[in-house]
Amino acid sequence: MSLDQNLYATVALAEIAIGALLILRLAAGPTVSERIVALNTLSTQATLAVLFYAAAADRTVYLDVAVWLASFSYLGAIVWSRYLERGLL
Amino acid sequence: MKTVAFIALSVVGLGFSLSGAVGILRMPDLYSRIQCSSKTVTMGALPALVALVVGEGVLSDYASRALIIAALLLIVNPAASHALARAAYKTGEPMWPGAVRDDVAERRQRSAGARSGSGSGSDGDRPKSGGEDGGAEGRR
Repeated sequence: MSLDQNLYATVALAEIAIGALLILRLAAGPTVSERIVALNTLSTQATLAVLFYAAAADRTVYLDVAVWLASFSYLGAIVWSRYLERGLL
Repeated sequence: MKTVAFIALSVVGLGFSLSGAVGILRMPDLYSRIQCSSKTVTMGALPALVALVVGEGVLSDYASRALIIAALLLIVNPAASHALARAAYKTGEPMWPGAVRDDVAERRQRSAGARSGSGSGSDGDRPKSGGEDGGAEGRR
């Protein structure tokens, strides 16, 4: 029915490794906006990693974490850009 | 067969995610980095999600969640990138010195010149956002 669990675990680990590259930009980015770009991409990678880890561990419960991350992680970018644009509302 | 399709799709997704991450690390200014970021989502996340759908079968729990996440990312991520780029441009985030075009500045200059002739300084800089900024100032 489903594939080898090691394949899913490999993809999840690869997404985490890509996230590590983004953490470099998150730590080094000279301005706030660049950190936000890195954080936004990092949250997408985290969503994928959680999803593939759920498939690797064969736990359906973890899927809701991924859905939650995908639904709400963009709010950080939206709120920060509103703050940068207009100041405290 | 299913394994081959899964591996191919996830290699495409991971390759684009990796190239997007390298782009975010190495691109010269913020706007190029935003472009890399949205490329990562469209070409990096979606093939990986489709790979999960292929691997687990279309009728499984994983597939339904993966499709929900794909729809959410397609809607939400361009909105976030757009808001971020707009805020960065309005706050005067500098472009790469080698950039050759700035259409927004040209259009603003043209409209400011057509309206008053002396459209320079802070007034001509952001002609559309004066009302919003004034409102924010008043509420603060």
